[in-house]
Amino acid sequence: MSKFNNFRSNLADELEIPNNVLSDNFDLRMHGNKKVIIENHLGIKIYEDTMVSVKTNDQDITIKGSKFKIEEINNYKVIVKGNIKEIIFSMKE
Amino acid sequence: MLIFKLMYLIRGYVVIRLDDINSEKILNILRRKNITVWDVEKKNKGIKFKISYDDYIKNSDFINEIMKPVGKKGFMLKLNKVKFRRGFSIGVFILIISLYLLTSMIWEVEVVGTNQTNTNKILALLSENQINIPVFMSQIETKKLETLIYNNFENYKFVEVYLEGSKLIIFVREREPEPSKIKSNEPSSIISAKNAIISKVIAKSGQPVVKEGSVVYEGQTLIMGIVKNKNSEEFVMVPSEGVVYGKTYYNFEMKEEKIRSVNVSTNKSKSVYYLKINGNSIKIIGDKEPYENYNYRESNINVPIISKLTDISILKGVYYEEVIMEIEIDEKTAQNKMKISMYDELLKRCNDDSRILKSTINFSDDEDFYYLIAQIEVIEDIGEKVRIFPTTEDKTEET
Repeated sequence: MSKFNNFRSNLADELEIPNNVLSDNFDLRMHGNKKVIIENHLGIKIYEDTMVSVKTNDQDITIKGSKFKIEEINNYKVIVKGNIKEIIFSMKE
Repeated sequence: MLIFKLMYLIRGYVVIRLDDINSEKILNILRRKNITVWDVEKKNKGIKFKISYDDYIKNSDFINEIMKPVGKKGFMLKLNKVKFRRGFSIGVFILIISLYLLTSMIWEVEVVGTNQTNTNKILALLSENQINIPVFMSQIETKKLETLIYNNFENYKFVEVYLEGSKLIIFVREREPEPSKIKSNEPSSIISAKNAIISKVIAKSGQPVVKEGSVVYEGQTLIMGIVKNKNSEEFVMVPSEGVVYGKTYYNFEMKEEKIRSVNVSTNKSKSVYYLKINGNSIKIIGDKEPYENYNYRESNINVPIISKLTDISILKGVYYEEVIMEIEIDEKTAQNKMKISMYDELLKRCNDDSRILKSTINFSDDEDFYYLIAQIEVIEDIGEKVRIFPTTEDKTEET
């Protein structure tokens, strides 16, 4: 995370406002193990039946499981549906 | 998501198939172009997804270059097709309007229960009242029509008007001809109309066959119209004339409730509105039967122009709330009421010139009812004139 982004994230925490209003951090929500909603993403890196990888500002989010289907994707959010087994956050190289 | 999909089902969407190993790259390009993609599914080689029809039109050059649209779906697209087939669309529209008009009009009038002459008279009456075939069903008010026909034709004892499909059916029942009066010079006898004890016999012509004090039964001959000629042994038939008074007895048993339930209005009311189309009602506002006890009244509200052209109107129903109250009826009132009912009944059964000789009325009561048991002794004319031989007209009717 860049220093400026880190500062904006901290400021949002202090002001008690949603983090993604000020920072470029992604927002990840899960509905059980069936659905993942990722907001503030930068695109799809890998899309397979058993794996979906989503790029964000600082990290790549890799979702592993089966029967993956992208329910919706637009400039702001991506909704992935399927049987989720694992979510891995990896720092960008 | 359901709303989202429904919205695009109306606005239109395009299903696209992409047979490329780098499908992620294409998805990212579409994302950068601000195109919303949904229902992305992995297929053998590539992917299949949906985009809105508007986005497809805006970016059709780019999309057609690298992808293959599989199908276009949506209500608006179907509508656009209809626009191109203008002649067909107009034809369908005219067909629907024609069907509606044809089915909402009356094309035939059928009169049931009378002969052709009277049928023509009824049809002429309808024409006089501006009901000419074909006519819109909305212009026919069956109750008014029934009253009109009933008032204009005295020989109908019953008239019913109803619609069946596109046919107006007028059902009439003619009055049966009253039995012809017996002429003064026709041979006749006088018989008893009731069971009675003879009180007085005044025979002006004919042979009396009963005496004072005799008990007679209904149908028994009182004055015979066949008399023996004084000068010869032959019997001659004469018209009978005379009055026979007899004592008759009427028994009455009546009862009246001690406590009666009466519906009393609470001045509260609730309305319900229905849309009435071709006799069928569809509720639009309000609740049916909002009160446990109610008095229901309804009225028809005609929509300007629409009701004239079609059979569409608004039906307003009002439910007036009522409460059931129990009223105790005192003995005197109940007795008076029963007495009045009894005398009303007696008047119906007796002749106009009847006279009450004696009346025995007993009242009693139990837990629930007041009772009246009465016997009225009446003196009245019990004679009824009948022909000695039935007329030829009657014979033909019997056969």
